[in-house]
Amino acid sequence: MKLTETKPEQHGLIRRIGGDAHFASRVTAIGVTEGTPFQTVRNDRRMPVLIYLRETLIALGREDAERIEVAV
Amino acid sequence: MNARIALLGQPNSGKSTVYNALTGSRQHVGNWPGKTVERNDGYYTYGGARYTVTDLPGSYGLSGNSDEELITAAFIKTGQADLVCILVDASQLERSMYMVAEFAAMDQPAVLLLNMMDVAKVQKKEIDHALLEERLGIPVLPFTAADGKGYNELKALLARELEKPHKLASAPELPERSGGAEAGAVQAESEAKYRWIQAVLAGVARSRQEQFTLSKRDRRLLSPVLGKLACFGTILLGFLAAMVICFPMMWLGSMIPQLLNRPIAELLSAWNVHPWLVSIFSIILPNTLYFCVAMAGFVFGVNLVFGYLEEIGFLARAAYQFDSLLSGLGLQGKAICPILMGFGCTIGGACGTRVMDNWGQRMLTMAVVWAVPCASIWTIIPVISSMFFTPWQTMLVILGILLYVALLMTIVARVFRRALVPERSRSGMIMELPPYHKPHWRHILKEAFFKAWDIFKRALRTVTLISLLFWAFSYSGSGNVADSLLYKVGTAIEPVTRVFGLGWRTFMGFLSSAFAKEAVLGVLNAVFVGEGTVLDATFRSVFNAATDNAVLGQAMTGVVSKAEALAFLCACTFNIPCVMALSTTYRESHSLKWTVRVAAFYVCGALALSCVVYHIAALFL
Repeated sequence: MKLTETKPEQHGLIRRIGGDAHFASRVTAIGVTEGTPFQTVRNDRRMPVLIYLRETLIALGREDAERIEVAV
Repeated sequence: MNARIALLGQPNSGKSTVYNALTGSRQHVGNWPGKTVERNDGYYTYGGARYTVTDLPGSYGLSGNSDEELITAAFIKTGQADLVCILVDASQLERSMYMVAEFAAMDQPAVLLLNMMDVAKVQKKEIDHALLEERLGIPVLPFTAADGKGYNELKALLARELEKPHKLASAPELPERSGGAEAGAVQAESEAKYRWIQAVLAGVARSRQEQFTLSKRDRRLLSPVLGKLACFGTILLGFLAAMVICFPMMWLGSMIPQLLNRPIAELLSAWNVHPWLVSIFSIILPNTLYFCVAMAGFVFGVNLVFGYLEEIGFLARAAYQFDSLLSGLGLQGKAICPILMGFGCTIGGACGTRVMDNWGQRMLTMAVVWAVPCASIWTIIPVISSMFFTPWQTMLVILGILLYVALLMTIVARVFRRALVPERSRSGMIMELPPYHKPHWRHILKEAFFKAWDIFKRALRTVTLISLLFWAFSYSGSGNVADSLLYKVGTAIEPVTRVFGLGWRTFMGFLSSAFAKEAVLGVLNAVFVGEGTVLDATFRSVFNAATDNAVLGQAMTGVVSKAEALAFLCACTFNIPCVMALSTTYRESHSLKWTVRVAAFYVCGALALSCVVYHIAALFL
């Protein structure tokens, strides 16, 4: 499923990161890589998705979060 | 010996705290060669030797996602620093070590600062720094940048390492790259970097994935509706606080011309100095000084408040809240604070853009902030509008102006986005929301003070230059407007300004609105009522708005049509905000080219609007 489809409090693993090299470079630099465990913290309509990953609270724009496949 | 130390670290790693603490007031702000990115160099002396410190710009990595990252990577790679001091956040060790992994490929001498040990301790995270040091092969210093202690130890370490430098003992084994930078290859490299980090940190720190719960404050501040209101309120309060802080300085500044004007004028006149020079020394210079003091006061207040809001972690939350709204304009969520500040004062908005990640975003935000009418505009719009229109009509005028603000912001963003925020660097929000920190007032105060002092020094030149230019145009030996260059040029080009709906008098008002909005009423008074010279009006009315509006209203309605008045109101509101905002934008953007471009856009845009409004209004009014 997509990261945007997760619910708050759900734990999961990042499965696949889509998008171009620029996006991959930015999103992996902040710690989102394939196989990383995460927890969704907030997922409100028309707001960036908030996840907790590698001990950090991270906000990801919705459009970007759409490109991230996760397993919960 | 003059060694160069470079500071490298991710956002929120405490890099600027360390930079400021090390260098104190011995700082220099410049540009990276050929770039608009701000370059910060400072120095300190230790044990009789001088050490230069360069604060490297950038974001989470070194992979060239922005000009900032390219500059930093090139600076390190070419060995321009004798030693690189890398900062990591001890409370998020694994993630912030990514910068070390990126750095490893550069093969340069380094030391590692484990910053935020206080936060790590509170979170009961233990770090075996001796083991980490052994694994990395470079010195590792546990540190708390904000508490002001430990800097002697740091300086001693840096001095030792410069004598006998160490390089990282290992580097991530990167998979071989076939072809260009494909998304897959980039990901594989990042994964290799994290694998290296995990290997280095094995047994050094426990990284466990525990259940994360938002704090009570965050539950409120991050909720979609309540949170936005709370952000709005906080920024408003912040603006008020900035005003309260800067008010004493502005008041002191306003005393400069009041106290100096007469004595200087009398003294110079007694020496039979030419009246030209008398007016320069008694009016222009004291007022320029006042403008700059007032500007510095404002910049101080805004930086203090913004510094506070940024340091406690509020700005990141506000950015999260308003990201969707602003991404439509091509702006980052962080732009919300400068934009809201702009309703108070454009100078505040412009210097508030320093929280943006990169130069393009900063410049774009400044350009958009110019569209926001500042508080001074609201002191002239209702006054002039009510001379010509009924209260209901005035309300409509104000509503129309507000609607146009929204439209203009969109237009400005559209026009400048392509060049300032190129497609490749455009991306959604990828940002850390740092835990709430206690503010470190000493650091915030120091930074706000440096910023204000810096603006004051730099603005003095720009503002003096523009003031002198305005003086040359408005000076009239006889005190009669008709003897000034402004009048001669103004009346000569009136056929042209008429096209935009402005007669020579209102056109002068328009020109003065680019100088200072506070000067508009005074200048109108000078050209319509004939009381005082334009020069006096421009420079004095800023602190002495003793214009009799009833008399002015009578004089204006006699000469100016309703359509022209409406056109004039629009032209004034959307002109260049003021010479101080212009100069702040130039100083903050480090780009004369872009400041001039944006200024030209606003002048042309204001005239075009005025033209359209005049010709349409003339049909109905």
